[in-house]
Amino acid sequence: MAQLSEIRGAGLGLKRELIAQLQAESGKDSIGAISFLEIAPENWIGAGGRIGKQLAWLTERYPIVAHGLCLSLGAPDALNEVFIQRVKEFLDQYRIPLYTEHLSYGSDGGYLYDLLPIPFTEEAVYYVAKRIRRTQDILGRRIAVENASYYLAAPISEMDELTFLRAVLEEADCWLHLDVNNIYVNSVNFGFDPHEFLRGIPGERIVYAHIAGHDQEAPDLIIDTHGQDVIDPVWGLLDEAYRLFGTFPTLLERDINIPPLSKLMQEVNRIAEMQASYMPNHRYANAR
Amino acid sequence: MMAADLPAFQQYQLQFTSHLRNPKQNPRPAKVSAKRMRLYTQIVFHNWESSVSACFPVAKKTLGIRAWEKLVRRFFIHHQSHSPLFRQIPEEFLRFLETADDLPPYLKSLAHYEWIELALSVADVSIDMQSVNDDGDLLQAVPVLAPALALLSYDYPVQRISPRFKPMQPLAQPVNLLVFRDIQDDVKFMELNAVTARLLGLLQAGSMSGRQALEQLAAEIGQSSPEAIIQFGLPLLLDLKAQGVILGTAII
Repeated sequence: MAQLSEIRGAGLGLKRELIAQLQAESGKDSIGAISFLEIAPENWIGAGGRIGKQLAWLTERYPIVAHGLCLSLGAPDALNEVFIQRVKEFLDQYRIPLYTEHLSYGSDGGYLYDLLPIPFTEEAVYYVAKRIRRTQDILGRRIAVENASYYLAAPISEMDELTFLRAVLEEADCWLHLDVNNIYVNSVNFGFDPHEFLRGIPGERIVYAHIAGHDQEAPDLIIDTHGQDVIDPVWGLLDEAYRLFGTFPTLLERDINIPPLSKLMQEVNRIAEMQASYMPNHRYANAR
Repeated sequence: MMAADLPAFQQYQLQFTSHLRNPKQNPRPAKVSAKRMRLYTQIVFHNWESSVSACFPVAKKTLGIRAWEKLVRRFFIHHQSHSPLFRQIPEEFLRFLETADDLPPYLKSLAHYEWIELALSVADVSIDMQSVNDDGDLLQAVPVLAPALALLSYDYPVQRISPRFKPMQPLAQPVNLLVFRDIQDDVKFMELNAVTARLLGLLQAGSMSGRQALEQLAAEIGQSSPEAIIQFGLPLLLDLKAQGVILGTAII
């Protein structure tokens, strides 16, 4: 199995639009700060033809993180174990050392292809944690779960997001995929202090992080589009996270309104520069 | 899914998604903000609609935005999609169309025609070119076809449908189309006459030489002179080779 330690430094979320530019710049200093790429297995499993060849080209040159979209960890319908088995084969085929998923759900008997918020209840903690453990059992490896962004608080919630997140991580004994942009988005949407939230994060479980931009629709509403440059308060949260917990591999997500690679590199370079001024996260250095 | 025996958080989730799917019919969960709920109904349906429309630009244009969105909403309300792969959303849409009534008569054919391009562009099939003789004798040896290839026959002239041409009656003779992925991984479309379509159908099994296939074709169409059909067939095979439909002949 590929080693988690292969994923380090700064990374870039792969979009189809970027592949030709990555191929053209291959081996050049201009993209030297990209130490790894991230892909959604749901877009690449079972793909042949041109995109199959592109994937082979990329996986020969970069360590890859698989960041899933449709595992639907918090859903009321049964866990799709056939799919998890396909993910396992995919991870093995391309020697992918890390698979992460959202702490959310996106199915109700059929897939909705979106990320919806799980109500923060005690029953939900045990339910989701059990499904994460089952996923880890099938995959034969630990996964990381990402703190999700959301826009609507469930009135039936019994705890706050941080308590829920901590409880799930503890109960599932999985890693944390920390999304600093999502902390910021939720802090605006629900009016809490993002730095206080960050200080409550179990740093020893962080193996991986995301940073991204978003669209501010109103003073109290941010839509998590990944369609803009990263804003300074979010850079500030990443800096604070490195200071508190040590550095961990961190990826820039950009999903829409995608600028040229050279422009995205400014943000990837900034991640790498920030990392250079801190020590690596201890838990991560020891992680297998 | 039925909610009665489920834990409260799951009952909430199912109310949430049934409202997302059909906000006019199903109320949102109690005490949730109407404004924020509307945001979800908009975002989730927008993403769903974009995923479908990406594969069916002609169907969308031909139906018109309003009719298209109504149809995609029906798809969202009534269809349980069982594939977690985004690429298979269009296939799920075709499955939904099979069950839908009151559609324009040409729509299922058109949607299938639009989908096949995506399906063949990503089909996970390949061929070892070491086992293909690029210069082989197309009559004596067994021709090898491009591996991602579909021979299709539609009751409507799908390749000509547009907002200005919406055929309401099926064709007297179905239109035969060949769709295939060439060696550069580009998907190509060709309209075929019935004889060429049948010839390719015979060759698709990968067991007949060009001559055997042409002889069988001659028998099927009642042509008693095999030499005449070879005369007619060889240029056809060479042309299919030049177009990249035939890659060469099998090396045994």
